[in-house]
Amino acid sequence: MLLDRNKLYSILLIACLAGYIWLYYSITSNVTENNSVEVCLIKHTINIPCPSCGSTRSIISLTKGNFWEAFDLNPIGYIIAVIMLIAPVWVFVDIRLRNNSLFVCYQKIESRLKKPKYAIPLAFLVIMNWIWNITKGL
Amino acid sequence: MDAHKVDMFLMANSKFFESHQMNMIRERLVNLDDSKWAMLSIIQFKDPTTSLIVSILAGSLGIDRFMIGDTGLGVGKLLTCGGLGIWAIVDWFQIQKATREKNMQKIQQFLY
Repeated sequence: MLLDRNKLYSILLIACLAGYIWLYYSITSNVTENNSVEVCLIKHTINIPCPSCGSTRSIISLTKGNFWEAFDLNPIGYIIAVIMLIAPVWVFVDIRLRNNSLFVCYQKIESRLKKPKYAIPLAFLVIMNWIWNITKGL
Repeated sequence: MDAHKVDMFLMANSKFFESHQMNMIRERLVNLDDSKWAMLSIIQFKDPTTSLIVSILAGSLGIDRFMIGDTGLGVGKLLTCGGLGIWAIVDWFQIQKATREKNMQKIQQFLY
C-alpha cells in the first residue's frame, strides 16, 4: 500500500471519524466509570496496558476541562486530541483548494522521524510513558 | 543483462515481490546495463514473512509499520492502540503486500 495524497487523506478521515464515533460512544455509555475501555489487543492478551491505553479516558477528561487529570491518565491523549481537531479541517481545506500541503507536511515529518536524533528520544518517551502506564495500573 | 543472471536474481528474490510485478522486473533487468549487476545483487530486501511475524506479535504498537519504513502510519497505529485493535488485525493481512510494495519501490531506484 504505497501512500499517495488521496489514500493518506481517506485514512485520516476514516480514522478521525472512527475516533469521534468511539468518543461519542464512550461518553454516552459511561465506560469511564468502571475503568473498562477494553478494546486494546495487548491488554486483552497479556493483561498489561499498552503505551496508549487510557487515552480515551484522557480525551474524555479533556472535553470536561480537567487538563491535569487528562495528563495524569495519559499524555498521549493530548497528541491525539490535537490531531483529531486539526486533521479533518486541514484535509477539507486541502481538498477544497486542490492542494497537497498536508501530504507534503506528512512526508517531511515522516522523513524527520526516521532520523535517529528524533527517533531515539521519542521512542524513549513512549517507553517511559508505557512504564508509567504499567505502574499506574490503567 | 545476461538472461542467466536475470533468472538467477529472480529465483533468489521472488518471495520479496508481488507475482504480477515479476514480469516487469524481468523485462527491465534484461534491458539493464551489466555494470549495475554488482549493485543489484547486494540490495537488502525486507522479508514479508518477518514483517508478518512482527505484525502478529507487536502490531498494536505499530512496530511492523515502523519496520517497513511507514513511520507516519506506525505512529498512527502506536497512538491509537493499533486503531482500536481493528487496524492491527487488518494489517495482519495487509502487511505482506505492503512489504512487497516497499521492496518494489526500493528496486525501482536501480531499474531506471
